[in-house]
Order: sequence, then structure tokens, then C-alpha cells
Amino acid sequence: SLRSSVAPPLERPGERRTAEMKKLYGGDAAKIMAMEAAMQLNFERNCDLKQPKYWPVIPLKL
Amino acid sequence: MMQCGWPLMGPLRWLHYLNKEVKVRAGKGEEHRGWLLSVDPVSASVVLVSFGEAVAVRVVMGHAVEAVEVLRAAADDETAKRLRSVFLPPPSPCLDP
Amino acid sequence: SISSSAASDTNSEQLQKEQDARSVLREGFLRCLLSMTNKKVQFQMYENVKVEATFGASDIDVLNFQVSDLHTPIGVQKEALIRCQDVISFTFDV
Repeated sequence: SLRSSVAPPLERPGERRTAEMKKLYGGDAAKIMAMEAAMQLNFERNCDLKQPKYWPVIPLKL
Repeated sequence: MMQCGWPLMGPLRWLHYLNKEVKVRAGKGEEHRGWLLSVDPVSASVVLVSFGEAVAVRVVMGHAVEAVEVLRAAADDETAKRLRSVFLPPPSPCLDP
Repeated sequence: SISSSAASDTNSEQLQKEQDARSVLREGFLRCLLSMTNKKVQFQMYENVKVEATFGASDIDVLNFQVSDLHTPIGVQKEALIRCQDVISFTFDV
């Protein structure tokens, strides 16, 4: 994984995420984060609203 | 040219396939051709575009990709232009000639 | 870092190239997902399962697709989540 599993102490999650995104996307990190935030918000809002259930119930592949 | 370990190749090597016509072999004997528009660096999923009566998009999930073969190394100007505009909003009418 | 400045210049140049490549690729993919909103999408899944649904949204880690009017082999499910791990490929017209 590109993301470190060892979290330095006394760091807020938002700061850590920003630092990780900066490492991955450099100068475009803010733009990518904005696009991702909009998409994730949309996903979560739709799930809250529509309460979709997994199909199929049992995964086809694990 | 065949490639193995597709999900592990990384952005710089995926970038080499951009705007090339490719054939992607995927799980359970699927095979798809198209112009490679992008590779998601998070999931390694491949976005293919083909131009027929409609513009068709096929996304092959990164975990299912078995091989990617380049069929044509460069898109002509017209195709390159169409590829760039596939997911962009249509130009506003006032800018049209 | 204690590496020589020449080496670290090369490294940072390489890193920036990789970041630029990753940004271009990620943006292209996110635009593709966004363009699918409210479109009919055909999913080719494992176990030779083919379904069609109206696309809603994807989470950013590409683990789940939220869809509506999912036509399954045994009927229509109004609202559904599809596990991306179950999917081989999917297609739609722009």
C-alpha cells in the first residue's frame, strides 16, 4: 500500500490525509481532494437517502 | 506487447498506454478493445473508449485485468481530440463558430 | 534527508513526474465516474452474471457502486450496492 500504516502521534486525521494526498498528487492534491470529496459526499448522501442493500447478498468473489 | 502485474505497474508506466488503442484481457475470458483514456491509480481500473454510432465506454476493473496489449501506438489528431472531449462538458453554444 | 543535492534533485524530479502522472490519471477516472451519474450501465460480473442498472455514485476507494433499478436475473431491486470486487467490467454510452 502507498499509505503508511504507522501514524505519528498528535496528528489530526485531516492533516494526515492532506499530507498523504500531497505526497501522492503533489501540486494537484487540492484539486483531486475536492473532486473526491464531492463524489464521496454524493455517494454517502445517496446511501442515506435510498438505503441500498448489497446485491448479491453473498459476494460472488472473495 | 503483453504486460503482467498490471495493478502494480504504477502511474508512470500506465501513462505510456494513454491514448493508445489497446486490447485488454480480463477475468473469465473477456477481451475488450478500445482507446485507453485513463487508468485509475487507486484501483488500476482501465477506461476504454470506442467510437461507433455512440461513444461507448468500457471500464475493466483493475483486479480483473490480466493483460494489456497495444494495438496502435498513436491516435490520429481527430481521435486524440475526440478522446480529450469524451468526459468534458459540451462547449457552450456561444463559443461555437 | 542526507542524500547529495544532485541525487535528491533527481529524486524530486522523478517524484514530481509520478505525481503529475497520477493526477492526470485519477482526474480522468473521476470524470469518467461522474459522467456515469444517471446513465444506464451494464455490469459484467463473476459467475457469468450480467446486470443492468442506473448508476448513482461510487465511493472514492472504488469498493462500492450505488445503483438504482438493478435488473437482476430474478427481478428488479429498486436500490442496490454492487461490490466492485464482484465486477469484471462495465460499459455505458456517453
